Amino acid sequence: MTAAPPAPRPPISRPPRPHPPWSRPSWPRPPAWLGAPLRRLVSAAAVLWAAATTAYAALLLAPGDTVDLLVGDGADTPEIRAQIVAEWGLDRPEAVRYLSYLGRLLHGDLGRSYQLQQDVGEVLAGQVGPTARLTLAAAAVGVALAFALAVATAGRSAWPRRIVSAAELVAVSVPQFVIGIVLLFVFSFSLGWFPVSGAADPQALVLPALALGLPVAGVLGQVLREGLERALEQPFVVTARSRGLGERAVVARHALRHALLPAVTLTGWFTGVLLGGAVITEALFGRPGLGRVAMQAVSAKDMPVVMAVVILSAAVYVTISVLLDLAYRIIDPRLRSA
Amino acid sequence: MKVVKGALPVILAAALAACGSQAPAAPADGGSSLTWAVETEPITFNPHQWAQNKARLLVFNQFDALLAYGEDGSFVPWLARSWQVSDDGRVYTLELRDDVTFQDGTKFDAAAVKANLDKLREPGYNPTVAAIQLHAFDKAEAVSPTTLRVTLKEPDGLFLDFLASPYAGQVSPKSLREAGDLKAGGPDVVGTGPFVLDRYVRGQEVHYRRNPSYNWPPQGSAHQGPAHLAEVTYRFLPQAAVRVGALTSGQVQVVEGVPATDIESIKRDPALTFRSALNSGTSFSYYFNTSHPPFDDKRVRQAFREAVDVDAVLASVYQGTAKRAWSVVAETSPFYDASLTGTYGGDAAKANALLDAAGWTGRDAEGYRVKDGRRLTVRSVASAPYVRDRRDILAQAIQAQVKQTAGIDFQVKIVDQGTAQKALDDDAYEIFENSRGDSDAGAALNLLLPKDGAINRTHYEDARLDGWLAKASASSDPAERKALYAKVQRKVVTEEAIVFPVYVPSDQIAASGSVQGLGFDPVSGTPRGVYDVRITA
Repeated sequence: MTAAPPAPRPPISRPPRPHPPWSRPSWPRPPAWLGAPLRRLVSAAAVLWAAATTAYAALLLAPGDTVDLLVGDGADTPEIRAQIVAEWGLDRPEAVRYLSYLGRLLHGDLGRSYQLQQDVGEVLAGQVGPTARLTLAAAAVGVALAFALAVATAGRSAWPRRIVSAAELVAVSVPQFVIGIVLLFVFSFSLGWFPVSGAADPQALVLPALALGLPVAGVLGQVLREGLERALEQPFVVTARSRGLGERAVVARHALRHALLPAVTLTGWFTGVLLGGAVITEALFGRPGLGRVAMQAVSAKDMPVVMAVVILSAAVYVTISVLLDLAYRIIDPRLRSA
Repeated sequence: MKVVKGALPVILAAALAACGSQAPAAPADGGSSLTWAVETEPITFNPHQWAQNKARLLVFNQFDALLAYGEDGSFVPWLARSWQVSDDGRVYTLELRDDVTFQDGTKFDAAAVKANLDKLREPGYNPTVAAIQLHAFDKAEAVSPTTLRVTLKEPDGLFLDFLASPYAGQVSPKSLREAGDLKAGGPDVVGTGPFVLDRYVRGQEVHYRRNPSYNWPPQGSAHQGPAHLAEVTYRFLPQAAVRVGALTSGQVQVVEGVPATDIESIKRDPALTFRSALNSGTSFSYYFNTSHPPFDDKRVRQAFREAVDVDAVLASVYQGTAKRAWSVVAETSPFYDASLTGTYGGDAAKANALLDAAGWTGRDAEGYRVKDGRRLTVRSVASAPYVRDRRDILAQAIQAQVKQTAGIDFQVKIVDQGTAQKALDDDAYEIFENSRGDSDAGAALNLLLPKDGAINRTHYEDARLDGWLAKASASSDPAERKALYAKVQRKVVTEEAIVFPVYVPSDQIAASGSVQGLGFDPVSGTPRGVYDVRITA
């Protein structure tokens, strides 16, 4: 780590992936003269290029060529094949197609969907909003629930803690699909509180956000409580108590900050959970969104759409890891000098 | 989940505050509206590009074809008032209605129909239709605004079926010229139909409002004039349990695609109605690959069919809601040969005798039959996106049966489209699973059975069979076609056993009792559009 803590420090619990993203050893560091912001931009672009190229190669290596997929299970004659090849320029060598793809990408042209016969940019434009709403709402649900439950139960009497802990375990272990179905059956089909589908009405967001947010709440809650309880054993807590602070103030003002670091590190992880879970949640609740488009595109090997989704996800990850860097510095004063 | 419930409203209020909201649109002219949950989201709304039978129910809301199928399976007038076929079967003269306008105000006339036909022949627009349905098409001429003459290169008995299919849905010539995403369809690709597609939210729903000037339904419709419903929304809910839950809780009024497990409870519910119809085209069948062992031996093909008790398998997989098939042609087709009923299947002793005779006499440690040190293994490779109706479970049930009764090792692989295609290209399969929903079964047989058929996966070749199929396609005499297709069916099902028909696919509609006028398209057996649907109080 760039910011190795000096020895006489209270031991704080270590996050599972303690390396802040800028110091990942596996990635060659751009030259120092570039300056920090530019360096970060260059490595972000490199990550995007690597993601795009890996996805391109993976799709290329998957069995079946594009013509097969465009033919589908319908009629298949040499005449039909020749027309498809001509239409999509599939007779050019792979390297040429790859380079021309990258070239168009640089100009912001994501290409045309093989399956949907539309510009990929146009297809995705309508889908980003609903997915952003869903994942942000789910993240809000997950984080809020985790905080509420962790603060309420950390270091408290055994029974509420055990029940909450068990609930968190259930939320983490049960597949999102099942959580979604159970929520639907109880709150939509039986009680009729929330509609089953639609993205227009905020009410329709409640159940999908819960289905997607509960697993996040489960893991985050466990990590936060663990962190809180360890922090509460530290000497500084005794000092705080000796100043006459109440239990709630000790937890909220002092211990929570220490418990946050591992929890914030998990943000990267739960971005993945949310984007991946969106695929299932969107299909189950009949919501529009990137997940559904991505799933359709992958099963149809609709290369331009898959590529666009991969690049978009990589961009989200890069952005989040930059934001995390900043968050670490705000939460942990020791890192500010780095 | 209990823990979460109490905190729910507070947390979500905050989470949702930032999210924009759209008020649901109320019917513009005070008429009734309907919400219908469908399983499959169409890949395209352009009728010329239509390829999904499960999405057929949307096409004729927005578009009208030139002809329609009547209840008795004959052709009836639609946008074409009448039609004449020349004696040599090569010239079709269509008299068109003169009172039809497209939804964008363009007049419907012979030039518009010609523009549609020419568009379909344009390279790169729809290669499949150009090569299959329009293979015989030569030229179209607008003789007068209401008269169109189509000349074929050779007689084609399936041309009228094409004129009644979604491909003959008439798109405004203005849309053909100007639409931004013509192949994808949508609000700017307009037709003459009873509803106007005005909103499509990918992944969620498509919304139609009534076309107030509509007055040209196909002959035999229950009413004339504009549709009863002011608007209709189709929601895309791919999960069957969610569709049924949405129906029983009153959030949608109609669902299609009802799973076998829910049919009984829906039928018992007095507030709901249930109906189903058998699809047209071909039955869901296993096609045996005759190009290499073991299915190059007719006895092994017969043995496989005898080893399966189809009735028992269908009862356990579909709870008795699936209709057993006896022929490759679905039994709703006028060409179905009923004499095939009961001609094969479910005779374990016969299966074993046939396999013994074919030399598969040894047994290995796992109980499978062996010949010359090779196990009796047959593989089916299905592409996951096209597996529907629990056909994966059905295959497992058949797998268990052929193992138990005859010692056949049936390997079922559900894979991605690319892998499936590779197996077909490499001839690395013994069984090909398929059903087709063509409204004219002959169109499906032309793809599946002839030597150079576009989906011939049996590699079976027989000049006489090809001759019958070609003759039946060229003929427009129903009696002659029926006689020829009867020969075809007997040949492939009874004599050569290259096909193992399993069940006739069907479509189901469950609806709230207040919804009247639902039904299925004649012949195709897929749910009908909502032109005749109304809601009673």
